[in-house]
Amino acid sequence: MTADRFHLGWFGAFVPHGWNQPFEGTEASHREWLDGTFHVDLARALDRACFDVLLLEDSSMVSDTYGGTSEATLARGVWAPKGDPLALAPLLTEATEHLGISVTASTSFYPPYVLARAFSTLDHLSGGRAGWNVVTSSEDRAAQNFGLDGLPQHDERYERAEEFIDLVDRLWSSWEPDALVMDRETGVYVDHEKVHPVHFEGRYHRSRGPLNTLPAPQGRPLVSQAGGSPKGRDLAARTADLVMALPKGVPAMKAYRDDIRARAEAFGRDPDDVKVMFIVSPVLGATEAEAAERFERRRQAVRDDPTGQLIGWSGSMEIDFSRFDLDEPLPADARTNGHQSTLETFRTWAGDRTLRQAVEAYRTEAVELVGTPDSVADQMGAIAEEVGGDGFMLWSQPPTRQYVTEVCDGLVPALQRRGLVRTGFSSTQLRDNLLEF
Amino acid sequence: MTTSKFHLGWFLGAGFGVQSWNQPWSGTGAHDWMLPDQYVDLAHSLERACFDFLIMEDSVQVSDTYKGSMEYYLRTASAAPKHDPAVLAAILAHETKHLGIIPTLTTTFYHPYTVARMMTTLDHIAKGRIGWNVVTGSNTRAAQNYGFDMPEHDVRYEMADEFVELAHKLWDTWENDAVLADVENGVYADHEKVHRLDFQGKHYASRGPLNTVPSPQGSPVILQAGGSSAGKAFAARWAEAIISNPHGTSKMRAYRDEVRTLAAEQGRDPDHVKVLYLISPVLGETTAEAKGKLQRRKDAMSKNIDGLLAGRSHLSGIDLSQFDLDAPLPADLVSNGHRSSFEEFKGDGTQTLRERLIDHSAIDTIEFVGTPEDVADQMEGVMQDVGGDGFLIAGAPLNRRYVAEVTDGLVPVLKRRGLTRDRYEHQLFRDNLRAF
Repeated sequence: MTADRFHLGWFGAFVPHGWNQPFEGTEASHREWLDGTFHVDLARALDRACFDVLLLEDSSMVSDTYGGTSEATLARGVWAPKGDPLALAPLLTEATEHLGISVTASTSFYPPYVLARAFSTLDHLSGGRAGWNVVTSSEDRAAQNFGLDGLPQHDERYERAEEFIDLVDRLWSSWEPDALVMDRETGVYVDHEKVHPVHFEGRYHRSRGPLNTLPAPQGRPLVSQAGGSPKGRDLAARTADLVMALPKGVPAMKAYRDDIRARAEAFGRDPDDVKVMFIVSPVLGATEAEAAERFERRRQAVRDDPTGQLIGWSGSMEIDFSRFDLDEPLPADARTNGHQSTLETFRTWAGDRTLRQAVEAYRTEAVELVGTPDSVADQMGAIAEEVGGDGFMLWSQPPTRQYVTEVCDGLVPALQRRGLVRTGFSSTQLRDNLLEF
Repeated sequence: MTTSKFHLGWFLGAGFGVQSWNQPWSGTGAHDWMLPDQYVDLAHSLERACFDFLIMEDSVQVSDTYKGSMEYYLRTASAAPKHDPAVLAAILAHETKHLGIIPTLTTTFYHPYTVARMMTTLDHIAKGRIGWNVVTGSNTRAAQNYGFDMPEHDVRYEMADEFVELAHKLWDTWENDAVLADVENGVYADHEKVHRLDFQGKHYASRGPLNTVPSPQGSPVILQAGGSSAGKAFAARWAEAIISNPHGTSKMRAYRDEVRTLAAEQGRDPDHVKVLYLISPVLGETTAEAKGKLQRRKDAMSKNIDGLLAGRSHLSGIDLSQFDLDAPLPADLVSNGHRSSFEEFKGDGTQTLRERLIDHSAIDTIEFVGTPEDVADQMEGVMQDVGGDGFLIAGAPLNRRYVAEVTDGLVPVLKRRGLTRDRYEHQLFRDNLRAF
């Protein structure tokens, strides 16, 4: 029996690929990251390695929570600066043939019509390889940049998002697929009877429609989400083609995927139409020992300098972690200006850990993968078999060209030799490829 | 005192051939080495790192020197198959803006008119960034593909000398202002500024003129690798950059001093002959990681004596399988191929063939190993000892991971220290090469 294949994606962001570490190039100092060069190279490498999708996360703030100032975030380049991934996306689709490009755009900050139109346009520009990664955003600092005082609480954000997605879907389908007739003899470009206003009146959003773009090649650009909470999981199971997830450990991964599939089925969907991909960040080496040493150096760097992680948490949880004792647990009376649910999730996970222990234990990966390309390929194959599918989203923080080549020219060929991942594409469209297996 | 800058070039040692294909970081190299993608990526990376140029080595035979059979070479994709780098050069020139692009063309197998015309055409496509790596050929099998036996080593250099002289004369058959492109008067070129040549040499003849218009550089930048006395004399007369492989700083310095003296004797400015040393630095995140890599490489070499023998057989044209591995090579053994490099390889008779194979690298004048910072220190030290002019990174077999280690790891350190260029001052390759 041949093993089932799984999908590969890359989880990235339009941020500097590094500027003060070995093997990160001088280009950051020449602003090369913002001219798109690094990401064009990344996209071409992923295209060559037959990744299904490059997903670009996003946020839109300069955080000043840590220490009550933006000094630390800007000095270290945590959270900011960050370029607009929607502007970068066409460069990437232009440089590639098959790779899907999924761009994060927040339901809290876009008018639905603008978003529907932008992603329809991107889907046309890319010949059906555009994706929209739906986020609701969670930082008040970001909301304030859009003239809001803050964001609604978690559950309301998800209700708004649900309505937002419904409206965007209505706009995307406001043109019937055969509305474009281009009849030279009668002089009719579009049949107006096949283009319909949507007259959407929701609790949060309104739009008349129709969209003023032609139907997108995919009809609906690929929709992806990262849903952890019950509300988030429901939204993902109802609307998403792709769910990115970070459950910790193989049993949790399997449970998470089973849950998403069950919810999708409850919404009347074929569970195979929702792909669950787990975030991992393999550490690769030419030998097991080299990989283990690299892994240990990364862990040691975190131990030596826990502040970087605290700045990151300060931004996402909107709590000033600079005020707390590293060798005590998060004080019970610590309050956030932002979202209680994010804080509670953290508290539950951290338990009795001191902040220092929490920093050391924290992982942005579902499972640790360390070894040679061959041994990591074996591990990934075993995990995918155990979990049941559907694939992995690789990320590297910060990414370097060296790491990209280790994945694309080391790990992926090892996976391909085992028949675990694709060696070519059967479609030019992103959703078709994602649903192929 | 500020250290003066030195130049960087990339030496594509396997030419437009099979690069890394069955190693841990080979990617899709087994299947797509013949497509331009990997070389385009390489050229983009080198340009980002402000390398002066990329040179593509070449050879034109399927070797059967080792054990009298093609088996080893074809089974391991060693030195064959190999495609024509001049064709690839056009694509790389088009894909880049600043990098010098240098294909290798063998004098012995071309007519000077063909080379002169091709180089002019490429230099136009590259907007003045083409170089020509002049080789004379070294392998009998290659010559037989063209219907003759390989001329003797020094005769080849005599032919090459006349060849390059004729090529330059062909490039000069058009005066610089011969093209008028005068739309109003309907005159494209002024025929009085385009001249017949009527060259009649000992080996070559050509009537001329060239049927191409003068290229941005007028003539390609001439590169050459010659360690023999005939090779050095040729280099002193023609070469603008030299690929060299003397081992250790004292030989490196002596070689450069000699070439500069010979060039001055030819009436040339010695600063217009850049001596570049082949190196293959081994880089790691830590010094220990890099040393581990180097040790693994050496261990792999000592287990691959067959491969090393086959490679040296290919370069020298001598079937080295016939000699005792555990004795020195015969002192009177002379190569009609890469003569001086074979002399250097043989050594002084104190080491056995096996030891020489492992110790004497064809792609390292000096061993650099460590973190990017370590290697930058080492390179700076060597340049101070030998006096210039730069390094050629060989690092075969080529894979994208190694390229990233050099261009995104090592070079940023060199740039920060002001040791290598951080921008291109000039449009023309030759001007950049002479900038320091």
